[in-house]
Amino acid sequence: MVKKAFSPARRNVLSRIWIGLGIAALLQMLAGAAFFFISGRKQVEQHTPQLLQAGVATDFPPGSVTLIGKGHLYLARLDNGGFLAISRKCTHLGCAVPWIAERKQFECPCHASIFDITGNVLKAQAPRALDLFPISFQQDMVMIDISSPIKRSTYTAEQLVFLQERR
Amino acid sequence: MSKNLLFHFRPRRVPESALRLTLTWGLGGMAALMVTQQLISGLLLGFFYTPLPVKAYESIQHIQHSVFLGQLVRNMHHWTGHALVVVVFLHLLRVFLHGAFYPPRHRNWLVGLSLGVLILMANFSGYLLPWDQLSYWAVTIATSMLGYIPFIGISLQEMMQGGQEIGTATLQLFYFIHTSLVPVSLFLLMAYHFWFVRRAGGILLPANEQAANAAKQKSVTVVPDLLVREMAFAAVVTCVLLLFSMVVNAPLGDMANPELTPANVKAPWYFVGAQELLLHVHPLFAVCVLPLSMAIFLIFLPFSKSKAGKPGALLKTLFIAGTGSLLLLTITGIWFRGAGMKLVWPW
Ligand code: FES
Repeated sequence: MVKKAFSPARRNVLSRIWIGLGIAALLQMLAGAAFFFISGRKQVEQHTPQLLQAGVATDFPPGSVTLIGKGHLYLARLDNGGFLAISRKCTHLGCAVPWIAERKQFECPCHASIFDITGNVLKAQAPRALDLFPISFQQDMVMIDISSPIKRSTYTAEQLVFLQERR
Repeated sequence: MSKNLLFHFRPRRVPESALRLTLTWGLGGMAALMVTQQLISGLLLGFFYTPLPVKAYESIQHIQHSVFLGQLVRNMHHWTGHALVVVVFLHLLRVFLHGAFYPPRHRNWLVGLSLGVLILMANFSGYLLPWDQLSYWAVTIATSMLGYIPFIGISLQEMMQGGQEIGTATLQLFYFIHTSLVPVSLFLLMAYHFWFVRRAGGILLPANEQAANAAKQKSVTVVPDLLVREMAFAAVVTCVLLLFSMVVNAPLGDMANPELTPANVKAPWYFVGAQELLLHVHPLFAVCVLPLSMAIFLIFLPFSKSKAGKPGALLKTLFIAGTGSLLLLTITGIWFRGAGMKLVWPW
């Protein structure tokens, strides 16, 4: 009588082991790929403060909005003298919002969202107020950290930055 | 040897009734042909394209103005890319209506869905490459839609853009996806897709013809009967694409300007439906719940009960209602939305 090399039951066990090993190898590879990806991303993402010199504080009259630098943001100075560095990126779908001086508001060309001078939403589509950038002062110079935009739902008075306070 | 390999994809003989054009409208073959054409025109364009902001736009201008037949090749690549999305969608529709996704073809349906996603990826990643206002802001809008997904949305968006906003990193990523990731996966999966059709016993014939075939065994040889038809069909499709590309130029707007959004920008047309929906319903629903339930529906479709090999009435209604409303939203978004997303009459 010729005996088979492996009984069907044994064969089954063996093939299961193979499948198990295969899955383990696959998972290992996926995990390796994931770590590869994530570790590479972090380096790109590390936020070192990137300070932008916006200008001398007294050059911005109260009630004005000025486009700063290469056009990523506005420096708004409210009537009470407080500063806000407002992102130009619409919170709806990311279009660049121009400041319309005659109507004193930001009007998005894409889906007609409207924001007031503080970045608050006046007309919807946009779900929240325009992002802010942190402001600091070096002497009289307004410095804006453009590396980390701050998300907010609405404008509150605490967001204002005043020149005197910092002295 | 090569012949043996080929016969993994094509049988020697097929039933005569499988030759009928109206059975499949040749949509799958058309898609394969167009993918191949895209590979060729893409390779040509790749010689002169530079994946860097500003340079990218200039290289497209160079291709259009100083390269021999450059404009035509770009037009072909552009229009075929868009046509491909339509053809793949129609292919899906056809397969659904014929119930050709039920076992033993269930796995191939899933492969097909992945191919569909890849085609969308191919088109979307290619959308940014010309680096004009049109592409820059369309991609801005489309990637911003991702941001509405709860929890992971923002990081997903930043991953796609390779940073806070669309710039060099985004362009390089999209270039890599468009020219390496998508083509390689596309061709591997396509081989699988075709081989699966062969293994399931060729394309699905209507039930009554299946019976008739079994009785009569009326079949024809693939070479030349099927091959000649396929070649003729391919020639017609190629001619149509070529003629269209000779007459209509691919659009190229002003160079991308991150500081200025032109009026009336929209997401790429196949995402306009989602964008339109975003105007009407809660964002969570528009970019998350709905697409997700659509995906789940499509993925689990082959495991539903069939009625004589065709999808049942409920499934059919769901599917048709779904595609119908998507179509309606897309058409509204493309043609009936003017500046500031106001409803306009296009004529
Ligand atoms: S992007 Fe500003 S309203 Fe839509």
